[in-house]
Amino acid sequence: MQQQDIDIVIVGGGGAGLRAAIAATESARKENLQQRIVLLSKVYPMRSHTVSAEGGAAAVTSAEDSLQAHFDDTVAGGDWLAEQGVVDYFIRHAHQELVQMERWGCPWSRKPDGSVQVRRFGGMKTARTWFAADKTGFHMLHTLFQTSLKYPEIERLDEYFVLDIAVVDGAVVGVIALEIATGELTLLRAKSVILATGGAGRLFRFNTNAGIVTGDGMAMAFRHGVALRDMEFVQYHPTGLPGSGVLITEACRGEGGILVNKDGYRYLQDYGLGPETPLGKPQNKYMELGPRDKLSQAFWQEKQIGRTGKFGDSDVVYLDLRHLGKEYLHERLPFICELAGVFINVDPVNELIPIRPAVHYTMGGIETDANCETRIKGLYAAGECASVGLHGANRLGSNSLSELLVFGRLAGEQASQHAATVAFADSSALEEQAQAHKTRITQLYDAEGEENWVELKRELVLSMETGCGIYREAEGMQATLQAIHDLQARYRNIRLQDKSRAYNTELMQCLELGYGLDIAEATCLGALERKESRGAHKRLEEGLQQRDDINYLKHSQVFFNADGPAELRWQDVDTHLSAPAERAYGDAGKGIKQ
Amino acid sequence: MAKQTSYFPELKRDWWLKHPYFKKYMAREATVLPLVFFLVCLLAGLFSLLQGAQGWQGWLQFMQNPLVIALNLLAFMASLFHAWTFFQLFPRVMPLRAGGRTVPPHLMVLGQWLGVLVVMVLAAWILMGGL
Amino acid sequence: MTTKQLSIQRYLPEQGSAPYWQDFDIPFDDSTSILDALNYVKEELDGSLSYRWSCRMAICGSCGVMVNNTPKLGCKSFLREYEGPVKIAPLAHFPVEKDLIIDMEPFLDHLAAVQPYLINDSGLINGSGESEETFKQTPEQMEKYKQFAGCINCGLCYSACPQFGLNPEFLGPAALTLAHRYNLDSRDQGKKQRMPQMNREEGVWSCTFVGFCSEVCPKNVDPAAAVNQGKVESAKDMLIGIFKG
Repeated sequence: MQQQDIDIVIVGGGGAGLRAAIAATESARKENLQQRIVLLSKVYPMRSHTVSAEGGAAAVTSAEDSLQAHFDDTVAGGDWLAEQGVVDYFIRHAHQELVQMERWGCPWSRKPDGSVQVRRFGGMKTARTWFAADKTGFHMLHTLFQTSLKYPEIERLDEYFVLDIAVVDGAVVGVIALEIATGELTLLRAKSVILATGGAGRLFRFNTNAGIVTGDGMAMAFRHGVALRDMEFVQYHPTGLPGSGVLITEACRGEGGILVNKDGYRYLQDYGLGPETPLGKPQNKYMELGPRDKLSQAFWQEKQIGRTGKFGDSDVVYLDLRHLGKEYLHERLPFICELAGVFINVDPVNELIPIRPAVHYTMGGIETDANCETRIKGLYAAGECASVGLHGANRLGSNSLSELLVFGRLAGEQASQHAATVAFADSSALEEQAQAHKTRITQLYDAEGEENWVELKRELVLSMETGCGIYREAEGMQATLQAIHDLQARYRNIRLQDKSRAYNTELMQCLELGYGLDIAEATCLGALERKESRGAHKRLEEGLQQRDDINYLKHSQVFFNADGPAELRWQDVDTHLSAPAERAYGDAGKGIKQ
Repeated sequence: MAKQTSYFPELKRDWWLKHPYFKKYMAREATVLPLVFFLVCLLAGLFSLLQGAQGWQGWLQFMQNPLVIALNLLAFMASLFHAWTFFQLFPRVMPLRAGGRTVPPHLMVLGQWLGVLVVMVLAAWILMGGL
Repeated sequence: MTTKQLSIQRYLPEQGSAPYWQDFDIPFDDSTSILDALNYVKEELDGSLSYRWSCRMAICGSCGVMVNNTPKLGCKSFLREYEGPVKIAPLAHFPVEKDLIIDMEPFLDHLAAVQPYLINDSGLINGSGESEETFKQTPEQMEKYKQFAGCINCGLCYSACPQFGLNPEFLGPAALTLAHRYNLDSRDQGKKQRMPQMNREEGVWSCTFVGFCSEVCPKNVDPAAAVNQGKVESAKDMLIGIFKG
């Protein structure tokens, strides 16, 4: 088994991982430290799911905007479950990070005078979303990846699948990774480890996420005793394409697109988001520019009363962009036009786009403090995999791309500083843990069980969708939790068809499923125990349909238990800057301090 | 760590027969062959002019050979074909900008053909005037 | 549901060295992409088939394969587009590692060789407030390079380029396009550093403007245009070099 000593190991090559790698390098340079920095990713960095983000990245930019407004929008958008100190740090640093991206060459869309253009986004009081047409994530990821090439200090191990972190006495000591090309294990002894492994949207059948978004990093931290926090908050994006779930950006609505039901009626006015705003005159926080949780919930309600249409087997409503005109659509939303054309043969210039909600984002994740550090010393997490506490119960669109810059950087700097203060741990414990993984992999190869990962995965994603969907009730969630436990048991009896070592993609998918089952358990348990409705978590039962600040103004923390079901605890929320208030949009939100 | 041996398919000499697009490309490149013949004819003409009247007459006779006429006709067609492909590509290599906008490629292609027309008319006028 | 025959080129280095073809019958409808078909094979018929994929929305660049001898993104091509059996092979001109997985390292090496990042001394801001300003860049200035910034690094253009097939040292369409993208960026000052790479024989001058790269590009980046604009730049650069001595 190969072993190397690396000061800072970063797991994940998406936006947060790359930003962290650059920050760690800069930090080491500034302090004159000779640090080895390695970035591992199970795919080439530019394949990471950041690439699929479309709409934009938020930061207070225009003169009429204020930091307070961005803070208030984010806290209210998260239904007061965000860590307010963290939100405060975020809104103060977002602009600087977007400027940094620009200085690295990111082609942000511009105004005629050459300054950066901003667009409207849901739940935001004013236009503050920077964008690069409708391929913002793509341009950000490639800019970061290309910029990372400028730093010879950043060593990359592309297509290395990290199996686990190694922990001794409450401190991280390294990672154990599998080289996908050969199937061999590699051992990296480390002083600091940053997890930037993304979300877990693939736990659900119908989602906007890439195939790699399987939550591996979350499960690794979870299994070592770090809490997964607020996992019950799963964001349904209101506009995914039927069939595939391909994302149709919120920017469509920011630019003035409207949502109608099968009767051509702008149904959002019936769900506390009205009154109807005139066509072509979108108004922040009204109608289509409400937050994602409310819009997805409105779809569900429309479906209940039979006002949704059909596209193939899917129930859909419609996104109308026609009034924006061909030239404007091709300038601002070229990728949307391409996607609608390729995947459902619809031309948004002349036709309505059928859409439906799809699982999009994991608000919860690996619990960290405000400095991105977990309860394991030297282990950091940033980006979607982390729960630093920014999004609370519902994320506002365009906060996540800014998040991965702000907190990717912070994690990188913290990791570098930490690495400067500690020595490498004794490698025997690391080797022992690596040996255990080697044995486990060998057993997986040799196992002659009857179960097949495909079947288990299908049952999992279906069950998650049924039990932990847009609206939830105890009975359904209990059934899902039971199903997860059954699947976990069956997973131990799994069998690989592919016995080869090189590029064994079946092995990868098998391992991902194993991680997924544990995260699914945390998600479902959190949802079951949160007996209130808040943000993206909506209960159907009588008495649970409202927010309950007396009992549930708390983060859920789920802890792994190797020998039995996971355990849940509650943690206080930092609300020292803004006391919980009514969360309202449309005219109802007028006069409320938001 | 040793990687598994990878398999590297070699590009054979007939690679261009494997796809219609490559055949079209080779046709474009092959236009040079009749053009070379035309140039050889032209050089031979100059050379025979230096050789005196008899040589010149011989060259004229040679040029009237139906096969030679056919080949030169082919060269003419080939040069038009090549010009067509070249004109198509030109706007992509040298995009022109006017008033902050890129000049539409079809306008540039049109402009190039107009250029050809002008040159031909000019050449004809000079030749006519010379007579 | 109707079915279509898919012939996939398999290569299993651990079980013998020769590639072979394997046929599968795939049920399909109008929405079935080549990638869906591969996933169907893996999940239902043969779990040992290896290929790369991720976003399934034509932006991550993972799933490039040869479909009937033409490089395509698996997620963006559909079985309905093909009459008769469909032949799937790994991207041409790259070493094949296993089944449809090619060795991407040559591609990445070429990419890194052209210094594909903004070179400008004031690139890094310190966050202290004084330099927290963006560069100015008008929409017209951005328009010059925007198309060339759309490359998703899928590698289809390399499989379409016979010159790269004949000489793997050729920097190739995507890398040269990226170099040109930064050279055209009004914020960049690194052209001088990039030109030596472009001026090499393995730089722009290996291109004979076959043009197939632009034909197969799934994002309409038009790498052929970029490379040949690069030739103009290279010629200018070399001429200036001669006059300067």
